[in-house]
Amino acid sequence: MLNLMFVYDPNTNPLNNNEWSFPLLEIIHIVGFAISIGTIAIVDLRLLGVGMKHQSSAQLLKDTMPWTLVGIVAMLISGPLIFSSDPNMYLLNYPFQFKMAALLIAIVYNYTIHRKVALSNPSPAIGKLVGGVSLVLWASVVFAGLFIAFIS
Amino acid sequence: MSLLPIFQWINDTGAATYLRESSWTYPVVMASHLTGMALFGGMILMTDMRLLGLVMREIPVSDVVNQLRVWKRLGGALVIACGIMLASAKAESYYHNPFFWTKMAFLMLIVIHALVFRGPVYNNAAAIDRAAKVPTIAKVAACISVVLWVGMVSMGRLIAYYEGYH
Repeated sequence: MLNLMFVYDPNTNPLNNNEWSFPLLEIIHIVGFAISIGTIAIVDLRLLGVGMKHQSSAQLLKDTMPWTLVGIVAMLISGPLIFSSDPNMYLLNYPFQFKMAALLIAIVYNYTIHRKVALSNPSPAIGKLVGGVSLVLWASVVFAGLFIAFIS
Repeated sequence: MSLLPIFQWINDTGAATYLRESSWTYPVVMASHLTGMALFGGMILMTDMRLLGLVMREIPVSDVVNQLRVWKRLGGALVIACGIMLASAKAESYYHNPFFWTKMAFLMLIVIHALVFRGPVYNNAAAIDRAAKVPTIAKVAACISVVLWVGMVSMGRLIAYYEGYH
C-alpha cells in the first residue's frame, strides 16, 4: 500500500548518486539540531532554576529565539532531503514514526506552552514542569532519530 | 611502536565486546552521545555567537560564559564518556579509520584552543564586559571554536562512511 504512495525510483534521486551528499546532509542536520536544542536548553535550564539565573526566562527566550528558528529550519530542510533518499524505508520504520510524532509535539509545544510560560517568568514549580517536559521531548526526538538506523 | 596492539586489546575486552554485540546498549550509548552533543554543543556554539555579538546581545558576556560553564562541562563529560565507550566497542576498526584519527586531531586542537584562549578570553569575561566592544582576540577565539567543533562533529559522522577496512 505505502509503496504506491511513492511511485518514484530512489535510484533517480541525486542524493543516492554521489557519496558526499548524504553525510553532508546528516552533518547539517546534527549542527541544526545542536543549535535549536542547545538554545531551547538554555531557556530550560533557567525554567528548571539550575542555570542562567541572572537572567529571566523571558529575556533568554527572546534573545535565543532567532537561533532556535535557524536551527529548526536547518533541520526541516536537511531532514526531508534525507527522508527522500528512501521514503518507503522511513515510512515503515517504527522509530521514524515515533520520531515524527515526537517532533510534531515538540515543535508545537515549543511555540505554544513553552513560549508562553517562558515569557511569563513562571513560578518555580511551573517552570520546572515546563522546562523538564521540553528537555524530555527534544531528547526523545534525538533518541528516536538515532534508533532509525538500528531497529526497523 | 604501533598502537594497533593496544586498540586490539581494548577491542577484545569483555566490556567492549559486550557493547559491540549488544542490540540495545550500543544505540542507547550512541543516542546519549548525540543528545549530549545537542545540549552541550549547542551551548558552546551560542557562547561563541555571543562573543561575535550575534545572540543574547543584551546579556553580558560574563553571564553567558560563566553561567553555562558547569553545564558545558557536565555535557562534555557525558559526550566524552559515551564517545570512549563507542570507540572501545569498535577499537580495532577505528584504528584503521582515517576519519577517526582526523576527529582525534580536531579534539587535540580543541584542547589547545582551550589552553590558548582560556586566559585572554574565557576566564577574562568580566574585562570583556567592561570594554567598549568585544576584543578581536575573543572574536578570533569564537570563530576558531566554531570551525573546530563543526569539524569534529563532521569527522565523527564520517567515521561511519569509511569503507577501507572491515
